[in-house]
Amino acid sequence: MLEEEGSREKGVLPEPPVEPERYEPGSEPDFERLYRNTYRRILGTLIALVRDVPTAEDCAQETFERAYRNWSTWRPDAPVEAWLHRIAINVAISDRRHQRIRQAGEVIRRLGRPAPGPDPSLVAERSELFRAVSKLPTKQAAALVLRHYHGYTNREIAAALGVPEQTVASRLATARKHLQVVLGR
Amino acid sequence: MSDIERELEEELHRVLDPMSARPIPPRRSIQAHRTLKTLMGGAGAALTIKVLTGVAVAAAAATVAGVATTGSLNPAIWGQRVSQQVSSCQKTLAAGQHGIGDCVSDFSSQHGAAVASAARHQGNGNSNGSTKGNGISNGNGNPNGNGNSNGHSKDHLKVQATTPATLEPEASDPVAGHPPARITRGP
Repeated sequence: MLEEEGSREKGVLPEPPVEPERYEPGSEPDFERLYRNTYRRILGTLIALVRDVPTAEDCAQETFERAYRNWSTWRPDAPVEAWLHRIAINVAISDRRHQRIRQAGEVIRRLGRPAPGPDPSLVAERSELFRAVSKLPTKQAAALVLRHYHGYTNREIAAALGVPEQTVASRLATARKHLQVVLGR
Repeated sequence: MSDIERELEEELHRVLDPMSARPIPPRRSIQAHRTLKTLMGGAGAALTIKVLTGVAVAAAAATVAGVATTGSLNPAIWGQRVSQQVSSCQKTLAAGQHGIGDCVSDFSSQHGAAVASAARHQGNGNSNGSTKGNGISNGNGNPNGNGNSNGHSKDHLKVQATTPATLEPEASDPVAGHPPARITRGP
C-alpha cells in the first residue's frame, strides 16, 4: 500500500492512518471523513506544485470539489488517495496554465513597472532546491513529490497518475537530471 | 539512494511539513462557487458577453429604426413630400398655363438649403446631392437625402433632420450684396 515507505519516518506530518480507511462512494459523511484525513497531504503536494500557500489552498479546495462531484463514481478497489492526487495534479496543471495567462496580462498592464512579489509571509521558506522543484514541469514535479515526500512506489505513482510505470521512471530520471544541472551538481 | 534524492526528501519535509500542519479549513461550498464560476469564467463568461452584445445590438437597431421613420433623411419621406409638392403646384396652375418646373424647383432648393444648413452646423455634413458638404447649396433641387454625418451622433442628426423644411422661396440674392435694380422710364 501507499503507507509502507520508510521515508515518511523523517517527517512529522503528514502521517497516514495505520489502517487504510474504508469509504463508501457517494456517502456524504464518508466524503467529509476523507476530506479530514487527506486534506493536509493533498495540500502538501500542491504547495510543491504551485506558487504559494494561498494558491495551494485554493487548488486543494478545487480538488475536493471535483472529487465530490465524482464521488458517487469512485470505485473502492482503487486507492482513494491516489485518485485524489490525480485530481490535484490536474488542478495544479490548470492553475499553472491560468497563472501564465494572468502573468502575461499583468506584464502588458504594468508596461515595464516592477511586478509586486507575493506576500513573504505566505510564501514558504524555500531553498534553491525547492524553488527548482517548483519550476519543473508539473508532471515531473508531481512524480518527485509523490516519490520523495509521500513515499509512493513507482507503481503507485503510475496508478495515481494513470500512466505506465516506465513513464513514471522516465519522468523521475528526467527531473533528477534537471535538478542536478540547475543546482550544478 | 543518491545524494540528490536524500537532499530532496529532507528539503521537501523541511518546507512542506510545517505548512501542512496548518488547521484544516472547512470544505468550500460547491453550489455558491459553481454559480460564481459560471458567471465569471469559462463558457459562462462567453455566454454573458453574447447576451450583453445581443442587448446592445437590439438597442442600436431600435435607435436606427426610430431615426429612419421620423427623420427627413429617409428618402421615402422626402419622396412623399416631393409628390405632395407636385400635386400642389399642379393645382395652382392657372387655366391655360403649362409647366410646374419653377414651382418644384423652388421647393427642392428649399430642401437643399435646409440640409446644407444642417451640414453647416455639423461642419462636414454631406447631403450627397447638389448641396455640398461644405455648407454651400446651389439650390438645383436634387438632394437625395443621403446625409453623411461622418462620425457624428445619430441623435444630433435626428434633431436637425426633424426640422421641417419651409416652403418659403429662397431669396434670389441671399448675400444681399447688390441693391435692387430700379427701372425708370427715360426722359
